[in-house]
Amino acid sequence: MTPPETKPVAQSPRSCNPTAAVLAWAFPGLGHVYLGQRQRGLLIMFGILFLFLVGLLVGGLDAVDLKHDKIWFVGQAFNGPIAFIADFLNQAIIQGKPEEAKLHLIGLGHVNALGTLFITLGGLMNLIVILDALYPTEWDDQPTRRKGDR
Amino acid sequence: MNFLAWIPFLEPINWFHTWWYVLLIPLAFGLSVVYKAIRVPNLRNYWWQVGLMTSQIVLGVIALGIVVILFVQFAIPVLTN
Repeated sequence: MTPPETKPVAQSPRSCNPTAAVLAWAFPGLGHVYLGQRQRGLLIMFGILFLFLVGLLVGGLDAVDLKHDKIWFVGQAFNGPIAFIADFLNQAIIQGKPEEAKLHLIGLGHVNALGTLFITLGGLMNLIVILDALYPTEWDDQPTRRKGDR
Repeated sequence: MNFLAWIPFLEPINWFHTWWYVLLIPLAFGLSVVYKAIRVPNLRNYWWQVGLMTSQIVLGVIALGIVVILFVQFAIPVLTN
């Protein structure tokens, strides 16, 4: 990885911002938009939603399944309410159907694994984003890094 | 392949099984977009950094795959004999 060009300025402990963290969980990128870093927030939003939607496209709605893939859902839950909505729709639309009707709606093999992996990794990346929103960093190349991101 | 019966986002792309490894590229791209958005000090070189990180992940996984193939094909037979 290329190292950052500049080092954080702040030597003092970072300030805690729980509202930004909650917003970052509520919808990916919203925490950084709240912090005034609109461009970064929109890039985060694009990245997380890209991973989430490609995961759903590849693995289908079955890629988010709290009932059968609990461990994976722990990571997926960090995507925010969109993961819970996808699980609700999965349980309501797919899992409630008879076995014969479910056959073509359930992902198998690589497709199911990759769909689940995309959404889980998106959730884990959003966890990093949530932590970054909780303890926002100040950089010495302002306004480009943080305060000038509007 | 019957695309007419496929409902995007509801049904999985089961015909994609043979091409699953291609999905490493969008996966690496998505991870890079998010990681670099909170990591780069300056957004001017952002997309260059994303491209660089995507390439590093893809090439790293390919290198890892080659190492594993060499280990399975050559090292294990030598060790078991």
